[in-house]
Amino acid sequence: MTQDVVMLTVNVQGIGPEAAQTSPSSLYGRFAHGRYAYRGGLISLMDRLRQLQVPATFFWPLFEARCCRAELERCVADGHEVAAHGHAFEDHATLLPGREAELLELCGETLAQWTGQRPTGFRSPTGTLSANTISLLGRQGWRYDSSFVDDDSPYSLAADGAPGMVELPWSESLCDATHFRRRFSQRRAEAAMAEEFEPLLDADGYMCISLHPRGDIGVARPARLRMVDALVQKARKRGARFMRCAEVAELALTSDGVVWNGRAKPGLPAVDYRS
Amino acid sequence: MSPLLPSWPRGVRVAAAMTIHVDGPSVEAGKGLLPIGIHSAGRYCIQRGVYRYLDMLERRGIKGTFFVCGYDVEHWPHLFREIHSAGHEVAAHGYKHEAWDLGAQEPALLHKTHFLIANALGEAPVGWCSPSGRKSALTLPTLRALGYIYDASEKDCDAPYMLETPEGVADDFVILPNNTVSLDDAPMYRIGQALASEVYENWVQEFEAIRENEGYLHLTVHPKAHVGSGTPGRAAVVDKFLGTVTDSGKASFMTLRDMARHCLAHPQAWRRPRVIALEATT
Repeated sequence: MTQDVVMLTVNVQGIGPEAAQTSPSSLYGRFAHGRYAYRGGLISLMDRLRQLQVPATFFWPLFEARCCRAELERCVADGHEVAAHGHAFEDHATLLPGREAELLELCGETLAQWTGQRPTGFRSPTGTLSANTISLLGRQGWRYDSSFVDDDSPYSLAADGAPGMVELPWSESLCDATHFRRRFSQRRAEAAMAEEFEPLLDADGYMCISLHPRGDIGVARPARLRMVDALVQKARKRGARFMRCAEVAELALTSDGVVWNGRAKPGLPAVDYRS
Repeated sequence: MSPLLPSWPRGVRVAAAMTIHVDGPSVEAGKGLLPIGIHSAGRYCIQRGVYRYLDMLERRGIKGTFFVCGYDVEHWPHLFREIHSAGHEVAAHGYKHEAWDLGAQEPALLHKTHFLIANALGEAPVGWCSPSGRKSALTLPTLRALGYIYDASEKDCDAPYMLETPEGVADDFVILPNNTVSLDDAPMYRIGQALASEVYENWVQEFEAIRENEGYLHLTVHPKAHVGSGTPGRAAVVDKFLGTVTDSGKASFMTLRDMARHCLAHPQAWRRPRVIALEATT
């Protein structure tokens, strides 16, 4: 049995999701939960990961990176991977191909300029993708996407239009927002995560944890940060290895296509979903 | 977590505010519903819930902050006089608990509720909490002109902070954030479908973290039936939580008005270290 691989990922979301949907004059109160990330939430989460010595992958929308240049620098200095999370919470499903290509290119170039290293991975900022996203990413030389929820371990995106890319699926059960969006108590959220934790690792030795630096749908509140401790301790107790997404992508992308735990992972054969 | 642990009066470790959002039939009136039959949960406040909380607070020696809607004050002024004469703070919470964008009407409605409360009690409110958490660019300028000193509608910080405006940081108005995520009964019951015991446990976890961190506890309860904590079983859980906080020996309850006055006496201490202007991001 090979060693379990766990990726701890952070979707860096502050006021960006609200700003994309609400006029600037209304970004207060219930439409401004996201500012919690700026008023300490993001730094608290980074502090905790530093204490735990977990190398993580932070998906940064350009909108948030622009707001939080100091935190972006801290993120790099702490040894985390910086990956792309779109421009400003656009719905990729409705972007025209030219515009989408332009925005993806802008994400790569700008993050490269600000961090000194070109990001190799992308996760959709709203979860949605267009029929072109994957092939655009492939043509631009990105190595992995992490927007799908359709497998227990990495698989090839060749059939989805990007021969050189791997999908690193994330898990809704192991995402804080899934539970806190439903206003679960902390205890219930922990229980919901625990139900999937061991079985998922047992399946393919792969797990993607997704966290948010927010006070409402995230784990950044002081009372919730201990959930991060618990997840990390539980993974370490199993002997799992924490890896950044880019490393996992390179591990999975072999000369024989995507291979995980000695098994070829070609992905689903291509289908025209619009027909 | 914070390098700036705030300093509360008399060396208190946790400044605690018990806020009661009365939300009577004003809520149903605002929705164009008759507050009868299944829509009578707001009437529960007027008949039972508020009295239950007045008793609880008196027994525990706690002064609370009651956020009230102008419509309810207009119809049942005696109830609000009773709250006021028991020494609790009465603060503003909309006219008919408007949870929608009021447009140009907003200043007039803020005035209306302000004077309904002031005339009924003989004392003007100085605090406001948005019904529903919505706010516009007109809200705070209107309230400041009326003499308000705090807003309890933001949810973005674990501690109070001085109001940040395009002209700079104010020194005469403070944001006392509420905690609709972890210290508010209604979202947990309405959306989270929690049991009262789960709500209690979550509140205790939050209190324990607050003790070790910013030391600011802002509890919100609704003395109504349905999604609130007006009924005996759920009110008992609120009472138990108040006991847990008090028995810790680390917390002191005060009204939001007193908390705001404390902050305004030391405005420099309550500026947040970092402000991100949205203008810089778009």
